[in-house]
Amino acid sequence: MIPDRRSRNFLDAQVLSRLAAVPLFARRPMQGNVSGRHPSPHRGASVEFAEYRKYVPGDDLRRLDWRAYGRSDRFYVKEFEADTNLRCCLVLDTSGSMEFGSNGVTKIDYARRLAATLGYLAVQQGDAVGVSCVAKGIVRNIPAKRNPAHLMSVFDILEHARPEGETQLVPVLHELAETIRQRALIVIVSDLFVEPAELRGCFQHLRFRKHDVAVFQLLDPLELSFTFQRPMRFLDMEGGPSVFAEPNEIADRYHKALRTYLDALRQVMLESAVDYHRVNLGDDYEQVLMRFLVGRTRGKGK
Amino acid sequence: MLLAALPIISLPILIHLINQRRFQTIRWAAMLFLLAANRMSRGYARLRQWLIMLFRMLAIAGLIFAVSRPLASGWLGLTAGGRADTTIILLDRSPSMRQQSSGAVGSKLETGRQQLVQTLNTLGSARWVLIESTTNTPRELESPDALLRLPAAEPTSASADLPAMLQAARDYIQANKSGRTEIWICSDIRQNDWNADSGRWQTLRDSFLELSQGVRFHLLAYPQTSSGNLSVRVTDVRRRQTSDSAELLVSLRLTREDGADSSPTRERGVTGNDDPSLALRASVPIQFEIEGARSEVTIEMSGPQFELKDQRIPLERNHQRGWGKVSIPADANASDNDFYFVFDQPAPRQTVIVADDAPAARPLQLAAAISPDPALRCAAEIITLDQLPTIDWERVSLLLWQAPLPRDESAKRVHSFVDRGGQVVFFPPRDPGNDEFAGVRWQSWVESPNGVVIESWRGDQDLLAHTQSGAALPVGQLEIRKSCGLSGEHTPLASLKGGATLVGRATTNRGGVYFCATTPAAADSSMASNGVVLYVLVHRALATGAAVLGNTRQLVAGDASAVSSEQPLNWHQVAGPADALSTDFAFHGGVYGAGEKLFAVNRAAAEDHAAVLADQRVAALFQGLDFARVDDRAGNLAALIQEIWRLFLASMMIALIVEAALCLPRIVARAGSPAGASA
Repeated sequence: MIPDRRSRNFLDAQVLSRLAAVPLFARRPMQGNVSGRHPSPHRGASVEFAEYRKYVPGDDLRRLDWRAYGRSDRFYVKEFEADTNLRCCLVLDTSGSMEFGSNGVTKIDYARRLAATLGYLAVQQGDAVGVSCVAKGIVRNIPAKRNPAHLMSVFDILEHARPEGETQLVPVLHELAETIRQRALIVIVSDLFVEPAELRGCFQHLRFRKHDVAVFQLLDPLELSFTFQRPMRFLDMEGGPSVFAEPNEIADRYHKALRTYLDALRQVMLESAVDYHRVNLGDDYEQVLMRFLVGRTRGKGK
Repeated sequence: MLLAALPIISLPILIHLINQRRFQTIRWAAMLFLLAANRMSRGYARLRQWLIMLFRMLAIAGLIFAVSRPLASGWLGLTAGGRADTTIILLDRSPSMRQQSSGAVGSKLETGRQQLVQTLNTLGSARWVLIESTTNTPRELESPDALLRLPAAEPTSASADLPAMLQAARDYIQANKSGRTEIWICSDIRQNDWNADSGRWQTLRDSFLELSQGVRFHLLAYPQTSSGNLSVRVTDVRRRQTSDSAELLVSLRLTREDGADSSPTRERGVTGNDDPSLALRASVPIQFEIEGARSEVTIEMSGPQFELKDQRIPLERNHQRGWGKVSIPADANASDNDFYFVFDQPAPRQTVIVADDAPAARPLQLAAAISPDPALRCAAEIITLDQLPTIDWERVSLLLWQAPLPRDESAKRVHSFVDRGGQVVFFPPRDPGNDEFAGVRWQSWVESPNGVVIESWRGDQDLLAHTQSGAALPVGQLEIRKSCGLSGEHTPLASLKGGATLVGRATTNRGGVYFCATTPAAADSSMASNGVVLYVLVHRALATGAAVLGNTRQLVAGDASAVSSEQPLNWHQVAGPADALSTDFAFHGGVYGAGEKLFAVNRAAAEDHAAVLADQRVAALFQGLDFARVDDRAGNLAALIQEIWRLFLASMMIALIVEAALCLPRIVARAGSPAGASA
């Protein structure tokens, strides 16, 4: 199968080349089916020493440590860490709110860039990549595979993802936690406009299933600053009721609600050991990903 | 202008409403926070919005008020808005305006002038006109400051006539066709100055209401009376020749205004009597000055009035005529502390009797010829109508006329005599005829054989007044058998039973014209046999008529009819205030000479009574007119009005600062910045 060579506007070759220097590590042991860069819960044949254990009958004699036998007159078997690959599941929020963007870049555009770049980096280092577009439910889903042709399919799904409908992130995440069978790196790209208390259950579910969860929360600068000069009529992008407000009058309370929400969300993320990244759409996505990758190298295999 | 601009205050509300209409629509993702914000308590935020709007309105209001330059005081407020075309100042210069408040420096008139200058300079006007109370003539001023310099704004001894002043103002407005006019009246609203009972007020009100241009009245009133203020008035001066010298008998009256005495020599409760009238006793030194020679008498005064009768002041034997002054110590009002008088050898009292009925004429001649005082020479001459042209009218004090009413030349002569100040008493002739004099004519005789009782007579004034001791004349004891009816306009002094007039007075400008409806003839009445009333009547008329003769005269300041005949422009001052202008001698108390004559000019008797018009009465006088009143007090140093635009400007700035403070966004702690964080 010949890979599709057409260019994707959410991919930047220079960014990819720069980010390729930093490997993508899982923070938790993964159960891959081939050898890779990530730690495995099992002992393997890597060069990284793991532990000594006493010889039991049936062990391969080639793995006896003769030097230890010479020093202590006891039989020890020398074990090494196993390296494996990971499954990276990209969860892309395609609800209506992802279409918002005040300075030319919408959240869905930004999410595409993040997801595609991560997918590319994962495939490059031999990991499997799958993608799930979620809104009211799981809109599109493609399981994780590690061949480059599969990556093109992932890109196609990302390209054709259209933000519409309301967000039902909580049931969708529960469903994904159940359907992704083996340990995986689950990267959620969303604006997370859900009550933090409801998200707590999802993340704990995912953690219970031994998934490594990373979250990119996308917020527009206008949503953070809420600077309007005139009275505004706010139409809900997900079909809810519209709100008429005098920005000068409501700004204080808006900021207060926003702060309360973000503080609560941060607390949920800390308690659920989620690799949480709050992203301002005004930020460069390369920097965001760089911070993400570098951060993960520090927590590798914990 | 201010009222027209007031709706601008609602501008912030209008802008707010327009702004509400100009809303924008946006598709919004973070509805979660908007809905949460809506659910939160919006009390403070809403309050802040309202406060911002309120302070914006206050700022605009402050700006409008500052631009319109309002004036403020306790009373005037915003009543004096706009600049008048003509401002007419009516200045009451009556003696009562010299009154000072206790502890204050200036008199009512001085304070009023200063207040007027300050106020009118602030208000501004295109033209200033002064009408002062002596001449009632409009006089244009360059500026209100002239009020402080003009001699015509100084106090005088002449009473004011407010209706005449207002009439002059009204005539001025009409003659000059002035635009919007402000009339400022500075007065102490004394009853005698305002003549509130005069019918002229109604006419004035109507005439002012007819004016198309707006006329606004401001009354700067000084209604406070000074309790305890004493005034002195000489009631009688007579020169009497004694065996080896002469003496002057001066009678005077001291009057104290209502309330407690404030004299420094007051002694409270000296007698230990609980009677309040006796509890207040004061010793008052009275100074007599006879052509520079002073003597002093101290009297003990209790009660509101004190009469000193015939205080003897010795004179040189050959001192026939001269002048004098009575003074009391300075008190609240300096204008009533002096009284001038002149004295002279009394002129012979000559009576001319024109009679066609001898029985009637004889009692008249007897009554007129018998002098009440040995020092007075009285003479009475009976003449016929034909002898009238031969009379030397300049020496006649009284004309008794018991003949058909004069006509043609005779009437002219009698009118001329009356206009000079002479007195005439008409008695009915046997044939009444159809002639009339001074609007009064005789009717037919009415005979009452049993006599008619005199029902009433006026004992308060004029010929039949009570005696000085207060006893009534025995008018009721007279028996009237025949009387002649009277028709025409006259004032009855005595009335018979049934309403017919017995003694009446016709209306004249000067002099006195009386009609007695019966004669002293025995067949007509008992006036001759019971001669007290006839004698008193004749001699009172004679005394009044003689008062205008001789070389000395007592005049009332500002009494135009009496003073003008004496040609005051030729006067020279003998005694009196040094600052009086020679043209204004007739209005200032003092002694003035002109040739052989001496004139004593004093304030009117009504000035001694401190009756002040009630507030409701004053308001009623200006009913229907645009009228504002302020009560000031003498010596008040605070300006009546002041510009307060600075206050409004400051208010506007404060409102803007508060508004800006409320509009400032709340400072958010940067440490909790929600952007770009990672867990």
